[in-house]
Formats: sequence, C-alpha cells, structure tokens
Amino acid sequence: MKRQIPNIAGAAFLLLLAVFPLTYGGADYDYVMHILITGFFYAILAASWSMLSGYAGQFSFGHMGFMAIGAYSAGLFRHYIYLSPEPTGLCAETQFFGQWLVVVNPIGVTSTTLTQDCLRQAMDAWAGSVEVTAMPVLLGVVLGTLMGALAGFLVGMLVLRLRAAYLALFTLGFSEILKATISAEIDITRGQAGLELPALYPSGITLFGRFYEPTDKLPPYYTMLGLLLICLIILGWLAHSRFGLFVRALREDQDAAAALGVNTTKYKVLVFSVTCSMAAAAGAVQGHYVQIITPNMLFLLQMSLVVAMAVIGGIENFVAAAIGAIILQVLLEMLRNSFVIGGVEVDMTIWRLVFFGILLMITLRFFRNGLIAPMIAYFRRQGVAEETVAKRASTVTGPEGGPHRTEAPD
Amino acid sequence: MEFPVLFWGVLGWMIFWGVSGSILIRRRYLARDLDTSNATFIGTMAGAALGPVGIAAVWAGTPRASGYLSTALALLAVLIIAVTFSFADPDNICVTSGGFVASQVVNGLIIGIIYGFMALGLSLIFSILGVVSFAHGEFYMIGGMLVYWITEVLMPGVNPLIGVLGACAVAFVIGAVFERLMLTPMYHGKIDRPVEYGILVTFGLAFTLQYFVQAVAGASPVKVQRYVEFPRFRFPAEADLVWIKTSRGSMTLFEQVTISSPRLSAAVTCILVLLALLYFMHRTWTGKALRAVSQDREAAAIAGISPDRMNMLAFALGGMIAALAGALLVQAFSWLPQVGAIPAMRSFVIVVLGGLGSLPGAFVGGIMVGLVEAAGTGCIPDAQKAASYIPAYGMIVLTLTLLLRPTGMFGRRFASGSHGQL
Repeated sequence: MKRQIPNIAGAAFLLLLAVFPLTYGGADYDYVMHILITGFFYAILAASWSMLSGYAGQFSFGHMGFMAIGAYSAGLFRHYIYLSPEPTGLCAETQFFGQWLVVVNPIGVTSTTLTQDCLRQAMDAWAGSVEVTAMPVLLGVVLGTLMGALAGFLVGMLVLRLRAAYLALFTLGFSEILKATISAEIDITRGQAGLELPALYPSGITLFGRFYEPTDKLPPYYTMLGLLLICLIILGWLAHSRFGLFVRALREDQDAAAALGVNTTKYKVLVFSVTCSMAAAAGAVQGHYVQIITPNMLFLLQMSLVVAMAVIGGIENFVAAAIGAIILQVLLEMLRNSFVIGGVEVDMTIWRLVFFGILLMITLRFFRNGLIAPMIAYFRRQGVAEETVAKRASTVTGPEGGPHRTEAPD
Repeated sequence: MEFPVLFWGVLGWMIFWGVSGSILIRRRYLARDLDTSNATFIGTMAGAALGPVGIAAVWAGTPRASGYLSTALALLAVLIIAVTFSFADPDNICVTSGGFVASQVVNGLIIGIIYGFMALGLSLIFSILGVVSFAHGEFYMIGGMLVYWITEVLMPGVNPLIGVLGACAVAFVIGAVFERLMLTPMYHGKIDRPVEYGILVTFGLAFTLQYFVQAVAGASPVKVQRYVEFPRFRFPAEADLVWIKTSRGSMTLFEQVTISSPRLSAAVTCILVLLALLYFMHRTWTGKALRAVSQDREAAAIAGISPDRMNMLAFALGGMIAALAGALLVQAFSWLPQVGAIPAMRSFVIVVLGGLGSLPGAFVGGIMVGLVEAAGTGCIPDAQKAASYIPAYGMIVLTLTLLLRPTGMFGRRFASGSHGQL
C-alpha cells in the first residue's frame, strides 16, 4: 500500500492544480495564475530535457533554442501568412481552395512603415469591403511543434558522433547562432523589439458555460496544464517501453548498446526529435500566451534555469523534474520580497538567484538524484530491497522486466 | 554588395562539393578500413577548394592524404572565398583600402592574443581535470570587477598593478576552494558521468557568481582608467610618412593602424605572462608534474605526483588566467555582471578549434578567432547586421570544427585518460 503513496500524492496534486483556478478567489488571482502557467511551461522544458539528458545521456544546452524555434515558427507563420477572398495584387500570393494565400512582405520595425506592408496597403484600398482572415493559432502551434521536431531531427543527425563535453558545446553553439540570427534579421523577426503574437484564444472562448476574454488566465492555464500532461504521458509511455530501455542503454555505454543490436543512430535521433518537439510546443503556446517573443529567451541563463530545475527535481526522473520546475518557479516568485536586516536592505530579486545557484551546487554535490526523485523512489521501492537481494544473485532482470542496474561494471 | 549572386553562388558551390566530399571520402576511408578521423576534413576541404576535381584526386590517392595537404586545401578554400568576395563587392572598404585591412588585421591579432590567453586557462583545466568549465566567463568577469573594486572603491588612486594582482589572487583562491568543495568526488569513480557532473557544477558556480556580483555591485556598468599612458612620441620627426606616432591613449603606425593603449598593454601583458607560464610548465617541477598528470594520471601518481593536488592547482590557475584577462580588459570595455558570457563562448570556440586540452592550440585558435571576428565585423556590408552577428562567427567556427574534425587542430584524441573521451 505504501508503494501507492506517490501515485496518490501525484493524483491529489494534479486534482489540486485542476480545481485551483476555479476555487481560488484572491485579489492577486491573475498574478498567481501567471506564475503557475510559467511554472507549467518550465515543467515541460525540464521534463523533456531530463528525458534527453537524464535518460538518454545526450547533454544538450540547446533546449531553449528548440523552444525558440517553436515560438518563432508559430509567430512568423501567424505574422506573415493570411487568407484573403480577393487577390491583393501587391503581395506574393497563391490560390488556395478558392481563397488566396497571402504572404506579407517583411518590412522590419521602422516606425514610419509599421502599417505599410503590402496587405495593409491592399486593405486600405479595399476600405473594409474584403474580410481578411489570419491563420488559426492552433495551426501555428502545430507547425511550431513540427518545426521543433524537424530541427531536433537535424541536430540529432549532426551530433551522432559527438559525446559529453563536445555535445554540450555543439548544442550551445546552435542556440547562440540561432539567437544571433534572430537578433540580426530585424527585417523578418523584428530583432530585439520582439515579435507580437495574438493571444492563445484571440476571440475568447467559452469554458464550463462561461465566456472568457482573450486576456483571461484560465484558458491558457488549462491549455498549458493539458500540454504538460500530454508530454508527461508520452514521456512515461516512452520511458516504460523498449524505447526507454534503449535510450538508457545509449546513456550507459553507446558502443556496448550498438554491439548488442540497439540501433543507436535511430534512437539518438528519435529522442532528440521527440524532446525537441515538446520544447517547441511549449515555446509556441507560451509565445501566444505572453503575446510577445524576443531573442532574449535564448539567453544562457534561461537555459540554466531549466537545467537547475531538472537537476534539483531529479535529472533521471522526468516527473520529478516537472514537479521540481513547478515548485521552484513558485518558490522563486515567493522569494521576491525584499527585506531589511539591521538597516541594510537585501534586494531579494537578485539574492534569491544566488541562493538558487548555491542550492543547485549543493544538490549536485550531495543529492545526486535530485531532491524530489528520491522521495518518490523511497515509497516506490518499499520492500523492493528484500525482494531483489535474492534475485540479484541469479538474474539481472529487475522487478519491472527491465535490466536491473547493480554496481556499475568497471 | 553589387553582385551578391556571384558570392552566394560560389559559396553554394563550395558547400555542395564540401558536403559531398565529406561523405564520399569518409565512405572511401571506411570501405578501406582506414582511420576516418581526418577523412571528413580532407574530403570537405578538397571539395570546397577544388570541387569535383579535388574530390577525385583525394579519392584516387586515398591513404596518402597528409596533414599538409589538408592545411593547404583549407587555406585555398579561404583564399577562394576572399577573392570571390572582392569580385562580388569591389567597392567594399576591405577591398579598396589596404590601410583598413592592415588595421583590422593588427587589431584582430591583438584581441586574438588576449582571447587565446583566456582560452589557455580553459584548456589547462580541461587537459588536467577533463572538465569544460562553464564558469570561465564568470572568472573573467570577477577579474575585472575586482580591479574596479580595489582601484576605485577600496583604495582610490592605487597603482592598477595592485588591483590586477589582487584580482588574480582572489580568483585563484575561489578556484582552489571551489575545486576542493565541489569537484573532488569526480576523481574516484563515485559519480557515474563525471564529464556531465563537471559541466553542471561549474554551471552552478557561474550562476551563483554572476548573481552574487550583481547583488553586491549592482547592475550598472563600471569602468576603470587606462593603466598605461604613452609618452608623446613621433618617429621619424620630420618626414611625410610618420612611422610611429603616439598620443596618450593610442598609438598610430604608418598613419593607418591605430592601436589603443588598453588593448596594447593587455596584449603585451598576456604575452609576458604566457612566457612565464611556459617557463613554469616546462622548467619547474610543479609545471612538469601538471603536464605529467595531463598525459597519464596513473603513471604520474606512481611517479609520486599527487593528481588531486594538481587538479586543484590547475583549476585555480585556469580561473586565475581568466581573471587576469578580465583584469586587463576592464580598462578597455565597460563592465557588467553579465559581461562574461561572450568571452566564455569565445573560449569554448577557441579550445575546440585548437583541440580540447592542447595549450598551443588554444593560443593559435585564439589568434584565428580574433582574425575571423575582425574580418566579419569589418567587411560585412551591413554594419548593423555585422554587429549583431558577432557572437555567431565564433559559433560557426565551432560548429564546423565539431562536424569536420572534432579533435581540433592540435587535439589528442584521448587527452587526460577516460575523461577526455570524445
């Protein structure tokens, strides 16, 4: 029975998250909701990163790069492609199921021409007689996810021969090149000024018989929570299938796994594609939720936040990483309040990050499996020790049918 | 650019044949059961420089392709790009003005020496501990911050030398203490994946140091006075072309090349410290012990060298080198807690280009990256774009190196025992 405690606690936690926005009525409702949505966003990133790094041992520092690919794909798609019943005669356009697919020309951020792209000019000429439709947000998010998977696939192909430190540096380089490109191509991406996106539900949505405005926090909350759950379910299914065993074999010893018949190329590329598409989906949804994306989300410190959350949660357990991300996000927000000791004002907006860094180092040094994963393992493995001690002598098969790791062979 | 089609066309042609060459020649080497570690590089360079002819030649003479050949092909490829660029954009300042080119080359060389020096610290750490220190940029940052703090806040008006020495000492101590506290469990097989652990824990140090400095010093930029002021000087005094002319803050050679005092003094100091380091590494017992540990930990331990102590020394020295680079450059740039990120990236690029763990490689790589950045900033027509792309130039070099020849220019494949595995 004790073994079920993590499941019960997890279900309770989930239930709490599910009913929270309906029951909470504090004055800081929007603020709290925003923190939780951001927490879910980081949870998706941390969970998929822990799959990539903790399970498969592919130590990528480019995860935020894939997130940005998702966000920018969705943003640029929405920004530059429209459907119009009439040809504009000014833009690049093509016929598309009786409508015209219009590709708007990039004009950059110069303020005088901000509304002067070809579609706006055409609309001025029509003077409201023609209704132009923007692309649906969902399509952009799906496209962003696919672009993330594609980028993950390509990067996975490129890094096949790289391990450990080289892989980390390569992915870091990928992320930096992406950031420089986005900052430099101002005409298309608007650079540091940021690309504006519509809200997740641009015309509002009716949920539980109540209408919600596009700026309301409840619909994006459930969207992000749903995305997190989908990602966790996919990750869980993968981890408990042959896929999970193969990628773990990849982590432990790539050459030995290849010698035993694991198609290392395939699984390495696959794990990159899957986790990167999750990061991209999170990025696209978050981009629509905050309604602006800038290249600054590619800063190394954003990546370090994800890494730290995954490590403190437990790098080899994606559920723990996700929970760690949510808890840490909430904790970091709660620590924001500055206080005064002996006449010296301690600016907690900065100092909390110092403590966070110290916590990260201490966790790494003394709690190698993170802080949350061992708690789960404590209940999960109740009685396992007695059962398996006898088994270990004769077999290498663990309780769940997978190979059981005893002492690492040296 | 007047004829961008020409430039991009040639570039596309080179990329196409480079990629084909890398695949074909690697297949050829694999089919012949030869060592493929150089095949990709030679194939790419042959394809890029000479197109199908080059690939065919390398294909025909498969096992005989030497290091000299690939270097020559690489230089030829760079030359082709440069010539195409000058034809595609005849009005570019890089093509029309020899003085501008000389100025860019000299300044690229000078800044490259400083980059190389900083990367040397990273390479030293990697060659002995097998760790890529992600905190290298933060050591650079605290070097500059400490100089500012010592010379402007603590003891205003003090000789900057004291500030620099103080910064080095503090960085050395931070490095040594951090190594003792955090990196020791790596050495004895207590951790499954030591390389990843090293990356993560230095990452944590970087995070902590950066925000600590921001919390203590604030987020506004600081700057210190230049350390050295040139005396006024002109030579030859009465001539049309003045060979060398100095003012307080800068020096002009042949009326074309201007070098600022902070950069020159930083580069000269770097060279002097580098010579001292070379003496230390090759002529003293401790230095020899360090090199011995980087070659073979177990054998060094048998010979009576404590590898653990050498680890501590190497990490502290590496951090100190980065701090010294920061302490020398704080007179040239304004300083923020976030200033370490770009030099850190640059150091990664340089050590990978030179070969992880190779000390001469780090220095040569530094000069190359300095020149590439100078060319990239000076010659690209759209100045605003060129400035935004600065961080990317080095990263493109890094990506290419990792794809074509992950061991870098001077890399040993299995540097530092099992830690250095590829």
